[in-house]
Amino acid sequence: MKAFERIAAVPKANALILPAAAIVALVTQVPLVVTLVLSVVKWIVVRPDLGINFIGLSNYFQIFTSREFYSVVLNTIALTFVSIACCTILGIAFAHMLNRRFPGVNLARTIMIAPFFVMDAVAGIVWKTLMLHPSFGINGLVASWLGVAPVDFLGQHPLLTVVMLVVWQWTPFFVLILLAGFESISEELLDSARVDGASAFRTLFQIKIPAIAAHIEVAVMLGLIFILKTFGVIYVTTAGGPGISSTNLPYIVYRTGFYRWDVGRAAAMAIVTVILTLVTITALFGFVRRKTREAEA
Amino acid sequence: MIGNARIGRRALRGIGIAAIWALCLSFFFPILYMVLTSFKHETDAIPPRLLFSPTLENYRAVLGSGILPHILNSALITLATMLFCIALGVPAAYSIVFGRLKKPDSAFFWFLSTTLLPPVSVIIPVFLLFKFLHLLDTRWGMVIIYTGANIPIAVWMVRSFLKDIPRELLEAADIDGASRARSFFRIILPLARTGIISTALLVFIFVWNEFFFAVNLTYINASPIPVYMASYMTQEGLFWAKLSAISTLTVLPPLVLGWISHKALVRGLMMGAVKG
Repeated sequence: MKAFERIAAVPKANALILPAAAIVALVTQVPLVVTLVLSVVKWIVVRPDLGINFIGLSNYFQIFTSREFYSVVLNTIALTFVSIACCTILGIAFAHMLNRRFPGVNLARTIMIAPFFVMDAVAGIVWKTLMLHPSFGINGLVASWLGVAPVDFLGQHPLLTVVMLVVWQWTPFFVLILLAGFESISEELLDSARVDGASAFRTLFQIKIPAIAAHIEVAVMLGLIFILKTFGVIYVTTAGGPGISSTNLPYIVYRTGFYRWDVGRAAAMAIVTVILTLVTITALFGFVRRKTREAEA
Repeated sequence: MIGNARIGRRALRGIGIAAIWALCLSFFFPILYMVLTSFKHETDAIPPRLLFSPTLENYRAVLGSGILPHILNSALITLATMLFCIALGVPAAYSIVFGRLKKPDSAFFWFLSTTLLPPVSVIIPVFLLFKFLHLLDTRWGMVIIYTGANIPIAVWMVRSFLKDIPRELLEAADIDGASRARSFFRIILPLARTGIISTALLVFIFVWNEFFFAVNLTYINASPIPVYMASYMTQEGLFWAKLSAISTLTVLPPLVLGWISHKALVRGLMMGAVKG
């Protein structure tokens, strides 16, 4: 290892990281700093007569004194955590079901992971029309078979609808990762459980699931990062409504920035989103790490 | 007695398998139903009929409806982004794994940390900058933003594949007097080829499906398929069979590529996250 580093590593190779780092910094870090600056100005783009004025933390004060913003934060938290919980449970269940040999298992796995690769726009369209439409969707069909009135998902339960779509799209991702986890469990571990006469139920909860803790952690972390960003399915299905009942943080930033053109306020909301994201991820990461250490101890 | 028990077990297993299949199929059902509807006449789609005589008229209508420029936009933006991500991401991963950076891990985690950033936190400055530089509604603008957004994923994945290459091989090449560039192209690239191709396919999928930047930074000229789909939905939302046909066409490429590359995705993600 040491010898290799002396021979094969050359200082020149360091420069190879620069082009990639430069463009990543250009489209992520630099705009983030600008967003931070914009968050302390009053600037309505469609009202150039008002100009651009420094207003300190007023944007933040306005955000935190508006009840609307708190319900949007709550929507975001509810959407994210309910979705993650469902994805984790369904992910473990499906991965465990598919982690065995049976006729056509590969095809079953293939169709199971498909929704993850379906774009938001299409997922939204298909669910809004073909699946959930109260008259002509599967929703209406099932309701008429059962002889009950169809549920008006988008009108009455908009946030639930968004959760359903997110869970449909992201459960396959959890299955992918957790299935790899189940497959990596060693035969010896399972044999010892069998020798001890543990039931299938106990084996799953006391041996298999702890054994794939790292995989669960990765799936939850990545799921969290991406589900916090949910935008496309909301845009296509509920457009954040009715009212703001299915609006999350990304969507309200979009509304404020590109509908009201209140750039300063939108920037402040975006900064709050960043902080909330980082706090959530750090907290969860710490929690998971602690749990893992406890489990090991 | 013993025979009965065995039959009982087999029946139970059969029921279990059928149940697994039923669950997987119901999860897949929206996609299946979309594909089926795309072959229906509009009159069979609303209200939905179980039995119908299949037709290709929706595909003909859709392909003649002005979607082609948007498919072209999607294809060009996606392919260019894919090439840039690989062309910039592979060297970056190389220098993290084989270079002599002071802190290769911090460089790697810096790339990772940028994926935490919600796109909304950058969209307003990017929009204003693009407006200023006349990059709004251009394919090049989209390629730039997507390249920056996806390089971290490319670095993450490619790094995990480069780490797998036995260092002894490079040492041997060094002793043989092969130049660095030569050993990169003759040893590293062939060994990491499958991983790099999978990474490229994943970047393809992410960019092809991306919605947020596309809807905010393009209007007519450069808008890719997802944006076109969303506006088609508002304008022609009542033509479900045609909607299904467009949807089927546009999800097909990422679905196929996803089925090819998902193993590499899992491997890359787990390597990056667990083994550090």
